Amino acid sequence: MRKFLILLLVSFFSLTSIVSAEVDFSGKTVTWVVPFKEGGGTSRFARFIQPFLTKYLPGNPDIQVMHIPGGGAIKGSNYFQENAKADGTFLFGCSTSVIVNVATGNPLVKYNLSEYRPVLLLPQNTHWFTRSDLATEPHDMSKLIERDLVLYALKTPASADLFHIWVFDKLGLKGAKPIPGLSSSGGYQAFLRGEIHISSHGAANYVKKVKPEIEQGKVVDLMTLGIIGTDGSVSRNPLAPDAPTFPEMYEKINGKKLEGDDLEAFYSIGAAWSQASKSMLLPENTPDEIVEVFRDAARKMVNDPEFKEKALKALGPFPLIIGEEAGEIVKKAAIFSDTTKDQLNAVLKKNRFTYRVK
Amino acid sequence: MEQLFAALFQLFELNHLAFLFAGTMLGLVVGILPGMGGTSGLALVLPFVFTMEPSYALAMMIGVLAPTTTSDTFPAVLMGVPGTSGSQATVMDGFPLSKKGMAARALSAAFSASLLGGIFGAFILSISIYYAIPIIMAFGFGEQFLLVVLALLMVGALTGDNFIKGLTSCFLGLIIGTIGTAPITGDPRYTFDTLYLIEGVPLVVVGLGLFALPEIVGLLNSQGSIAKTLKNEKGWATGLKDVFKNWFLVLRCSTIGCLVGALPGLGGTVVDWIAYSHLKQTTKDTSQFGKGDIRGVIAPEAANNAKEGGALIPTLIFGIPGSGNKVLLLGGFVLIGIEPGLDMVTTNLDLTYLMIWSLALANILGAGICVAFASHISKFTLVPYYILAPVMICLIFFATFNINRDWYDFIGLLGFGLIGITFKNFGWSRPALLIGFFLSTKVELLSYQTHAVYGLSFLYRPVSIVLMVLCFLTILLLLRQRFESNYSAELAANKLGQIFYVLVLMCLPLSMIWVISNLDYRANLFPISLSIIALILLSFILFVKIADLKKLELLQHPIMNFARSNIFEITAGFNKQFHYYVSFLGFLFLNFIFGFPIASALFINLFILFHDRKAYRVSLSISAILLIILWMLSSLLTLQFPNGAIGFLIELPWWLGGLY
Repeated sequence: MRKFLILLLVSFFSLTSIVSAEVDFSGKTVTWVVPFKEGGGTSRFARFIQPFLTKYLPGNPDIQVMHIPGGGAIKGSNYFQENAKADGTFLFGCSTSVIVNVATGNPLVKYNLSEYRPVLLLPQNTHWFTRSDLATEPHDMSKLIERDLVLYALKTPASADLFHIWVFDKLGLKGAKPIPGLSSSGGYQAFLRGEIHISSHGAANYVKKVKPEIEQGKVVDLMTLGIIGTDGSVSRNPLAPDAPTFPEMYEKINGKKLEGDDLEAFYSIGAAWSQASKSMLLPENTPDEIVEVFRDAARKMVNDPEFKEKALKALGPFPLIIGEEAGEIVKKAAIFSDTTKDQLNAVLKKNRFTYRVK
Repeated sequence: MEQLFAALFQLFELNHLAFLFAGTMLGLVVGILPGMGGTSGLALVLPFVFTMEPSYALAMMIGVLAPTTTSDTFPAVLMGVPGTSGSQATVMDGFPLSKKGMAARALSAAFSASLLGGIFGAFILSISIYYAIPIIMAFGFGEQFLLVVLALLMVGALTGDNFIKGLTSCFLGLIIGTIGTAPITGDPRYTFDTLYLIEGVPLVVVGLGLFALPEIVGLLNSQGSIAKTLKNEKGWATGLKDVFKNWFLVLRCSTIGCLVGALPGLGGTVVDWIAYSHLKQTTKDTSQFGKGDIRGVIAPEAANNAKEGGALIPTLIFGIPGSGNKVLLLGGFVLIGIEPGLDMVTTNLDLTYLMIWSLALANILGAGICVAFASHISKFTLVPYYILAPVMICLIFFATFNINRDWYDFIGLLGFGLIGITFKNFGWSRPALLIGFFLSTKVELLSYQTHAVYGLSFLYRPVSIVLMVLCFLTILLLLRQRFESNYSAELAANKLGQIFYVLVLMCLPLSMIWVISNLDYRANLFPISLSIIALILLSFILFVKIADLKKLELLQHPIMNFARSNIFEITAGFNKQFHYYVSFLGFLFLNFIFGFPIASALFINLFILFHDRKAYRVSLSISAILLIILWMLSSLLTLQFPNGAIGFLIELPWWLGGLY
């Protein structure tokens, strides 16, 4: 009975769609490989998008999310590289840590991320803040710069947290010292206990946990990473419109604009950390018409009233990046230039880490 | 307050109730199966919870944990075998009562005491949540570091039969926990350049290997203990009256259960004995103890259910497991994406309340079901173990595979199974190994964090001093109570084997030092220090064992005499257990050839028929049911079962272990 129904549905859809498009997924199953555990951020991102994608892809294919966790996201990513077919039936759920594995030259990586064909990117943003007694006023870092010891949380240098080290170095925080092994939530607890001096959070936790403390006057904003536009402009984060962006803070402290090697490093870091925080990619060599069909579906999805209603809560306030410019961002995020790598290695060395970007 | 009741209403939604009920049923079953307890039960459900909504998953996990200490009374009273490690003391008076024909009275008293204790625990937990924020804020890195170290010391010193062996187990667990990426520098440690070990050994593999497999082979070996049925037993009302007459005892023992449960790391394993000896000390007429005094059933049962609430306190607010099964619960937290600590009493307060209500309700449900269906449930103790065992093995393999969908997990499972079986037989502490393994990363990180923020000054902070004093007092007090018993080494057989085993254990720290010595000091300082301590402890044990074997004079010194108590374990039937273990290897081999589903069906049939040739009807129908369940699960979870070599030759559907 079930087979018969499926057959009926399949034949129905194949009839209707012959006219509309050449690419058609009726009766097919699209496997969306997520190299993380169920329940994590990338998994939630995929599960949220999944029904909309089924709705707007020609032929309404079944989309099944396949979790392959392990090996610091490398196992699932390598699996995708080796098994994905470039015919639109395989999708990849990527996140900052998958990118950082490539950008920092992890020798176990076998996936060729920079050649993947992006469908959409979901940006994120980082907020930095400090205790109110460590700043004369909001957005002021002069007191922190004078301090001998400014502690902050760092999960591990072999992750996106590495960028914190670079950021604080560029801002001239001489006393900055990372405390290893602290997740952002554990770090925030230590921050509230007064054990560390600067803390950071992504948008969702910033709104939920940090905003109330700011309103009570215990915590003040320092800055945000800033929203990087596709033209390279950096605008302020709508969640903390008064807080300067990193380039603004850089200019205020160093007395010169962020430019040259520093700007290049900032763009790469911003691409990996912020712009391509979560993304949906097709395998390399996927034909253009299939990529276009997926991007069309994503554009239609963004205008779906149900999507609009739920997206703010599920995905955050930053608009999705869809189309060719997404490809540029992923390339920038996955391939760090030698000068950027040198900059990162220099700050790693300064902080006495043995880990190096390769 | 509003949230407290919102959580209650949430729990009464059909879905939550269904998951809680499912969890409770599983908890009852693993409680009845002697030896299986909350740890194995949770390890079985963990691979499934991460597809669930967090609140459902929590209801289910608490559902599994809470009633195990209720239903474990069945085997304790009817067979004289503790159903979980928490009901060892129940056997003391429960079994004699049953022999006197008062099984129903004992069971009913035990269930009501369990119920009251469980609810008391939930109540204390909910009160302590109110005071949690200032406590969390007062516990900085230094205090947390001390708390974890003290937890490890306590669990090491008190869960083993011999306290040095217990401590050593703890250190071995810590060493195994350092396998994987070094948290400070990101260097791979002891991974032999494999991807599998980069994130360390999976917790479920360790939990199932250490706890489930050894119990299964142990029980297969002890076939033949005759269980009583509850036919025509009367006395249910008497048991209830006994509990109400002794209400003050229930209250005292529940308080003890809560307190001991809340001591981080200790929980579970000793609380029933502490309650039992409290009862002995506070009673004037002790003549009936051990011969069938109903109070001897009430006291441990009230305490071991109350401890669940207590043990959740350090688990929720510090992420330090209050007992072995809480390690698995914390593993579940990670899977569903909630982090213990401040969040549990602020942003995730609703989930915390949900857990508290689940705990209370699961206790009520568990006790209710036990009373209402006592005579049916008691038949469970009659099912021959050779029928249950292969099914459980298949379940365990399935649960293991479902974590990472990785063949290596099977090898890991059997590896830790072997460690578990030898640990159990040679008197090393499995809870200490598990908790050490789990807390290892935390200890390493906290030591670096404490050093970065405080240096050594954390030791002078007031909370730290209080913690240290409290800890040493507890250890002294409990050690005195626990090791008064006399040791008779003459009974121990296989002494040479046990001495040889110490040498085998030494290979772990030695190879660890060998493999990682060339890494940066921040990556290898911690594992190497642990390894050196473990080596010293192991050498000392080796020395005491040899001295004991040679009956050296210096063992007469009181301290040495203390170190020597239970240095050898009285093992029985180790060889036979090992044979059963080898049959599991055979199952793994079948898996390689046929893939998981077919191999399971074959294994169940072979195993049952080997024990009873006439039972082919049973074996065929069980394996058929199993195949149907696997087929349903594979479509439900989009799960591809491990495929075997046969999949390359013949085309099979993927739910049968085919390639596509």
